[in-house]
Amino acid sequence: MSRGTAERVVPTPLVATSRQRRFVAGDRIFRVIAYGAAALIILIAALFVVALVIPALPAITKFGLGFFASRSWDPVRNQFGALTPIYGTLVTSAIALLIAFPIGLGAALFLAEDARLRLLRGPISFLIELLAGIPSVVIGLWAFFLLTPLMRDNVDPFLQHTLGFLPLFQGTPTGYGFLTAGLVLAIMVLPIMIALSRDVIRAVPRELREASLALGATNAETIWSVILPYARVGITGAVLLSLGRALGETIAVTMVIGNTMQISTSLFASGYTLPSVIVNEFTEANGNVYLGSLFYLGVVLVLITIVVNVLARLLIWRFSGSARAVA
Amino acid sequence: MKRVLVALSVGVAILLAACGGNTGATNPSTGGPGVPTPPAASLTGTGATFPAPFYDAARFAYNKLFSQVTINYNALGSGAGISQLTKKTVEFGASDVPMNASELAAAGGSDKVVQIASTLGTVSLAYNLAGVSNGQLKLTAKTIAGIFLGTIKNWNDPALAADNSGVSLPNQAITVVHRSDGSGTTYIFTDYLSKVSADWNTKVGKGKSVSWPTGQGAKGNEAVATTIKQTPGAIGYVELAYVIQTNMTQASLQNHDGSFVIPSPEGATAAASQYLAISPTQFSIVDAPGKTSAPISGYSWLMLYKDQADKTKGTALVDFLDWLVTDGQQYAVNLHYAKLPANIVKDDIISLKTVTSGGSTLLSVPAPS
Repeated sequence: MSRGTAERVVPTPLVATSRQRRFVAGDRIFRVIAYGAAALIILIAALFVVALVIPALPAITKFGLGFFASRSWDPVRNQFGALTPIYGTLVTSAIALLIAFPIGLGAALFLAEDARLRLLRGPISFLIELLAGIPSVVIGLWAFFLLTPLMRDNVDPFLQHTLGFLPLFQGTPTGYGFLTAGLVLAIMVLPIMIALSRDVIRAVPRELREASLALGATNAETIWSVILPYARVGITGAVLLSLGRALGETIAVTMVIGNTMQISTSLFASGYTLPSVIVNEFTEANGNVYLGSLFYLGVVLVLITIVVNVLARLLIWRFSGSARAVA
Repeated sequence: MKRVLVALSVGVAILLAACGGNTGATNPSTGGPGVPTPPAASLTGTGATFPAPFYDAARFAYNKLFSQVTINYNALGSGAGISQLTKKTVEFGASDVPMNASELAAAGGSDKVVQIASTLGTVSLAYNLAGVSNGQLKLTAKTIAGIFLGTIKNWNDPALAADNSGVSLPNQAITVVHRSDGSGTTYIFTDYLSKVSADWNTKVGKGKSVSWPTGQGAKGNEAVATTIKQTPGAIGYVELAYVIQTNMTQASLQNHDGSFVIPSPEGATAAASQYLAISPTQFSIVDAPGKTSAPISGYSWLMLYKDQADKTKGTALVDFLDWLVTDGQQYAVNLHYAKLPANIVKDDIISLKTVTSGGSTLLSVPAPS
């Protein structure tokens, strides 16, 4: 293709001029650089997998796939399993999405659709970007010092009082645990959720909106039956990106999850997540099996993230097909 | 944070002392001759976080005494200390628990590595109970084990009331707080529990990280201290220095002899002096006899290779470590660590005398008798 371009500049080259030769050479160099960059990405990914799997080998050979099903985490007896932190990671991320999805979508609709309060849009968008820029350790500090007492003294007792019959709200609330961690994660993923959904909703073609309104639909009807169906591909993407962020968040969760190796149905209970275990224990983990198990947790975390990403793509492919049908 | 300030002020004090020309300090702990003058060298160590404030204050002070020696210390954790020493990327490693047989084998064998006790710490049980002031809560080995095993769940438990007549303990759930990161403090505390409670020993055992039967984890002494402070009804084990610096209320602990003591550096030294023969394989000093002994105490360790490839660096290293376990101990005391007992200082110097380069002993001070 590049040669074709060169040929088009001079239609009948009998002898290549030096200028042309330079051009061809530059093209080759550019191609080498581009291929090299692409190869480097593959190399980095491969090295990353190798660097994660090799130190994990002592644990992989010792525990095998049973690692995923084992609830034990006992450094004294060298018995390790990933089930408890997997559970904690999934539960806290689920809570985060359950909270962040309705709020995020509502805020996005407001920002994209509501023309009456145009003056507020700028400041709110700015605040969202500000929230996205706060380092997670600062959010963790805020949660540790302000959110946990608030949860312990107000939110948790209220939930226990009104919904205490559910297994979700049992036990003595300490302010630390799944619910608080989920809430912190919700705050952290909200900016992603809002910003992406807002952009997706804004991208809905104007004609669709106008056609719906012209047919006599109200604003709410237009949002519900035209805009949201059209935008759901992008909104799903926003949800999955938020999930990716929630799964991997480390320090803010570590500060409020309570760091306890237990699986509990109560959201007031302390738990553990995959990144929290790794960040807590790697410094003093001596012995190949112990350190290997922490790397194995890293492998598990990467696997979960890959599964989420693959699911996201499959969903988006399916939805984009049906979205085209709708359109 | 406060430790940093203390370390800084110590440093400033030393700076002033050095300006006064007071470099030829004598050796009060051993009564031996003056501190040897080391050759110019740059030394690096890696390891435990528990003694890090002490090492930082000490290396700063040593550099003021002997500006030709610079010492770097990276507090990356005991595990890193052992592995980096084994890979010989550092001159010395530090660990809260001495290297065990398999770690020594990986480092070339137990006869290749010298391990010395560098400082002594003690662990407090800090609590948050309205109306129960510092030292008022009395805990015995049995009740401590009960609380951390989760069998004593409420502050009004009869077992606690029995030891605390006159103190009104509330009807409040106990929130146990422990370390979530691997730590020497946890090792000392679980070593204690394993020694005093057969139940704990079989169910949990001892280690820098254990499988906790109850409670919640917080990362680092600071986070444990803060979690206790802001959670009513909480109790947890914290290194003494943090308890003192943050003005926490701590329990009186019943020691082996049956007397109740509030943990203090003096109590740790008293406990340590009960054990005359401490070695890297026999190093536990928890639940020590003696009327004033603080029951939950332990040593922190430094490791170096017995055969030093670089003679200059090796000489500077043993000179520094000799100073650290003698004159350097004053910086430990300032930071609420306990002073090493005289017998341990002697053992340390004897161990340091075995460090050689090209077959010749590097430490020039005479071996203590």
